[in-house]
Amino acid sequence: MLKFFQILSYGIINGGLYGLVALGLSLVFGVMNYLNVAHGGLIMLASYVTFLIFSSLHIDPFLSILLVTPAFFVIGWVLFKVLYQSLMKFTEGEKIKNSLLISFGLLLIFANLAILLWTADERAVAPWYTGKVFDVFGVRLPYTGLGGLALAITVIIALHLFLTRTYFGKAIRAVSLDHEAATLMGINVNKVCLVAFSIGFALAGIPGVLTSLHAFNPAISFDLTNKALVVLILAGVGSIKGVLIGGLFLGAVEAAGVYLVGTPYREVFGLILFVLILMFRPQGLAGKKA
Amino acid sequence: MLEVENVDVHYGDIQALWNISFKVGDGEIVSLIGSNGAGKTTVLKTISGILRPTKGNVSINGIRSDAIPAHEIVEMGVVLIPEGRRLFRDMTVFENLELGGYIARARPLKNQNLKWIFEMFPVVENRMSQLAGTLSGGEQQMLAIARGLMSEPKLLLVDELSLGLAPLIVKNIYDTLKEINRSRKMTILVVEQNVRLALEIADRGYIIENGRIIGEGKGSDLLKSDQVKSAYLAIG
Repeated sequence: MLKFFQILSYGIINGGLYGLVALGLSLVFGVMNYLNVAHGGLIMLASYVTFLIFSSLHIDPFLSILLVTPAFFVIGWVLFKVLYQSLMKFTEGEKIKNSLLISFGLLLIFANLAILLWTADERAVAPWYTGKVFDVFGVRLPYTGLGGLALAITVIIALHLFLTRTYFGKAIRAVSLDHEAATLMGINVNKVCLVAFSIGFALAGIPGVLTSLHAFNPAISFDLTNKALVVLILAGVGSIKGVLIGGLFLGAVEAAGVYLVGTPYREVFGLILFVLILMFRPQGLAGKKA
Repeated sequence: MLEVENVDVHYGDIQALWNISFKVGDGEIVSLIGSNGAGKTTVLKTISGILRPTKGNVSINGIRSDAIPAHEIVEMGVVLIPEGRRLFRDMTVFENLELGGYIARARPLKNQNLKWIFEMFPVVENRMSQLAGTLSGGEQQMLAIARGLMSEPKLLLVDELSLGLAPLIVKNIYDTLKEINRSRKMTILVVEQNVRLALEIADRGYIIENGRIIGEGKGSDLLKSDQVKSAYLAIG
């Protein structure tokens, strides 16, 4: 029984991370129908940036979020102007296809760039609290995991409040529902898309900090994109609250898989879930029937 | 207020408007009538900047507007209530109204404008926290107009508001528009397939057919003209 709770707690901690991983992808896909599969590559790059900041400046990884996030916002801004803005004129389906092509290319470039710059060796950021745990009735809860879970919940709720309580957030949602109607409200759709896209990139910086706390290498890009896509489908396209639920659900299902069958099959359960959801509930767990 | 001169509009290679010219004066209600596919909606989309003329020009209060981005035209005081209402269906009624008053000039006036709008459309007030997509057709049309009014437009463009609504509701909404025109001196350009209704409330009207303007006159005169009677009112 103890083993079950131990595995479940890791599952939930991982689930929070999965939610964060999917957050930026979900926002960008919801607002402009860009499927940015390079998202996992960005998170991987953010891990290296966190590693560099930690090893050279000795800044705590959780604090380095304040540096990494704005930097990735700027990267998003530039890439939108250079690569993605020209896709705005296409129809919905064309946007998905073209953005998929561009971002898949970027994903390969990011992964190979990381190998070139930092080799394929495993790295990890190890601040003083690495390996420290709370012991709750025999269940070991690592500091880093709890910090990550708290961070994930905070960020997702903050984004939700931004989208539902501010004029600009509401404009982002209006654009995601109907570009032309949003224009008729006096909303500058191009600007809203540029900012939403850049926020999506900035949101890759935060999970990047968390993944840097465990062993990582350039290849995690692909795993992370994979997780983000599973959560996107679980959450229902464009649902921000759903991302938290979807992430936690994926973490819990993986944990159940590990408990019942064994660690090597962890990924399999996520993918089976992905297929089942597409077959039986394509609007997502939190989504309404279309 | 509004001047459209010799405007041509194309969808790709296909020409939709030929040499369209007309004027709307300050405080007037003008209606543009014509059958399905005549180009009425295209005219309104061109004025609001969503479509660009390939020839000719559009001016608002003497300022050429045909190269200004659509979202800035809203700031110039021109608002389109689009055909099919185009509400943000997954957002609440209140959020739809807030977005209507999105432009900087309108934000400080939000509460004042809400009060004014609730006086005209009390139904909207009772539905504030409901999702816009759950309203009935008539309520949705009222919300679409209310949303447009939140930015305090000087010129209101209304596209085919009678579509899919019961005649009595349509009549009520047109009466409200007439009242807004009178009390607020708001200029209104209406596009409508329901010719009788459109000409009854309008000071002046233009007839559009196959992308060309083929007739104009005072609303009451057009109603009596043989041209309108035989083509649109099926009497005569």
